[in-house]
Amino acid sequence: MLSRTERTSALQWLGKQLFNREDPAAFFDPLLERINPMWVQQYTPARVERIEDETADTKTFVLKPAKRWDGFKAGQHVNICIDIDGVRRNRTFSLSSAPAQWHSNGMVTLTIKRLPGGLVTNWMHDNLKPGATIGLGEAFGDFLIPEAGEPLLYIAGGSGITPVLSQLETLAAANYEAPVTLLYFVRTQADIIAAQKLYELRQNWDTLTLNIIATNESETPRFLKDVDLDEVSGIEQRRCYLCGPKGLMDLATALLTQRGISEERMHSTFFAAPKAALDTDALGGEVRFSTSDIRVSSEGDAPLLDIAEAAKLSPRYGCRMGICHQCSCKKTSGTVVNRLTGKSSGPGEENIQLCVSVPQGPVTVEL
Amino acid sequence: MKQMNEAQLNELEKDLNAIRDEVLADLGERDANYIRRVVRLHRALEVGGRVMMPFGFIPPVFVAATAMLGVSKIIENMEIGHNVMHGQYDWMNDPSLHSQTYEWDTVCTGDSWRLTHNYEHHTYTNIIGKDRDYGYALLRLSDDEKWRPAHSLQFINYILLSVFFQWGVGLHELEFERIRRGEISLKEKLPFLKGFFRKGGRQAFKDYVFFPLITFPVAPIVLAGNIGANLIRNLWSSTVIFCGHFTQDAETFTEEECEGESKGHWYLRQLTGSSNFSGNRFVHLLSGHLSYQMEHHVFPDLPAHRYPEISEKVQAVCKKHGIHYNTGSFARQYGTVLKRILSYSLPDRLREKWTALPQSA
Repeated sequence: MLSRTERTSALQWLGKQLFNREDPAAFFDPLLERINPMWVQQYTPARVERIEDETADTKTFVLKPAKRWDGFKAGQHVNICIDIDGVRRNRTFSLSSAPAQWHSNGMVTLTIKRLPGGLVTNWMHDNLKPGATIGLGEAFGDFLIPEAGEPLLYIAGGSGITPVLSQLETLAAANYEAPVTLLYFVRTQADIIAAQKLYELRQNWDTLTLNIIATNESETPRFLKDVDLDEVSGIEQRRCYLCGPKGLMDLATALLTQRGISEERMHSTFFAAPKAALDTDALGGEVRFSTSDIRVSSEGDAPLLDIAEAAKLSPRYGCRMGICHQCSCKKTSGTVVNRLTGKSSGPGEENIQLCVSVPQGPVTVEL
Repeated sequence: MKQMNEAQLNELEKDLNAIRDEVLADLGERDANYIRRVVRLHRALEVGGRVMMPFGFIPPVFVAATAMLGVSKIIENMEIGHNVMHGQYDWMNDPSLHSQTYEWDTVCTGDSWRLTHNYEHHTYTNIIGKDRDYGYALLRLSDDEKWRPAHSLQFINYILLSVFFQWGVGLHELEFERIRRGEISLKEKLPFLKGFFRKGGRQAFKDYVFFPLITFPVAPIVLAGNIGANLIRNLWSSTVIFCGHFTQDAETFTEEECEGESKGHWYLRQLTGSSNFSGNRFVHLLSGHLSYQMEHHVFPDLPAHRYPEISEKVQAVCKKHGIHYNTGSFARQYGTVLKRILSYSLPDRLREKWTALPQSA
């Protein structure tokens, strides 16, 4: 008997012969979509079941992915795709529900805040209705809960609470016994996302300490302070999870490092296009797009994706912040700096993410 | 080519850019819906044709199935494949409609087409010696090329090229004429040949082995229907493409006159080297809107279904600059193509005598 993988590769070979494409099943999508949008093969469709208001500018979208979706671990994110005015837009959001919920009723939630000027988030708030289908990718990311029963500290800001919600719910359901503290920074009390859920968790789960801090309710902004950390008992032994705006994360990282907490015990995930400090003097150079034979010069102030688009090329892209790898592309020569990590690549042929790679000297990209 | 000074060419460039910018600013859901609808039509026709074909032992079903499969291939090649690979729908960010990854249902590989067609033909349109699409290195279609006795039989070559059009297009990148002249070696073309045999083999396997085989008792019928469908597609696409640049009034150019040309000059060359034909909506769809060849050559990456609506603006620009807008009925335009193929098969003296004869209207 053929194993499953052998059978699929034989089928894939045949599919390629018959339909000339890497995803032969998706050949039928245009027809399937009409019969039942949940049968689409090109991406995993997810039906919008409900939309709930969290705060004035945040909503939770309850989705039911098609059965073949592989599921996720608490703290992971997904790419979603939505057609807006004819253009397919890919964005990355973290799942705010616990995997247990998906196992029990097949539902997952995305909790999404309107971004000022944000095309996709605003469109979702204004136009997405229950009954519609959106595309869902497989979950990814290594912002995961620990295996051992270690004491934990979460520092979250604004909509950075979403992957934390998924983790807290999962830990509570497992009756996690070690102490867990959440420091949650919000602008005002009205901006607390999933307030009810957080209060319920505190009530039913003894080891959770909840500290919600409003930053903008006094005359001077009230940011994360060292005293906030003093209140966390046994902080040196805690595994720390950070998620929120870059300012908060930088501050938290600095304060925690001062207390001798090692990098290995700090986990972070971010959802704003990061602008890592770059030594711009060393950046920039001639970029050659070899497939289209276009040469442009780079000042080192823009990632390759922007440079390619300015040169009228249309590379595939997704999140534009280095997460989804839709824009991965082969670099054949030269060095690039990864904006996220600040690290330089090797000089040879390798796959790079266009959206976070800034040229460091002359670069050739297969595009 | 019509002579225009630099200022006039700049004005022409400005006028055409204005049309282009207007369309680009307006791209959106309407265009996405259009191409998705065409893709749906293609899928429905292909699935329908393939399902009906085994019942082809009933003659009317055979005719219908063959026609459906043939039309589905025409739509896929012309309105979807050709236009998608020009990047007309790249802005949609849909991986299945992306120019760099699309692979169409014909022998020519997408990569080969992007090189020989999108790049070479669209850049050097009708420049004799540089645009290898002009006569496909098989036919003499202008007096830029000297007559040789072999040309007298070129009408037979033309028929053969039309019948086996997809294989001809697939082999175009081989540059057989240059290999024969010893300018390049066959060895240099090995990577291309590898891709050609892989894709050609795949196409032949599908239509001539796989589908007949899985319908074994009626294999000969399915085989015949599939051959018929490919033939319909070959004849039609060859005919449409010949009408694009080889009509009576489509001009040719020399390398010298195009050296270091401006964008305005390039626009003028695209307009005067191309020709349209008129027809109803269905004809435009089946020709991939290459019935608007002039608009296509001026704006190869604008969604083709926009050509009819911008045609009037292009005509106005042509009128303003005194450029002949080369169009006519399909029959008339194709008639002039056949006449060109035949007349240039004659030695110059005979051809001049023939064309000097009074022509019937």
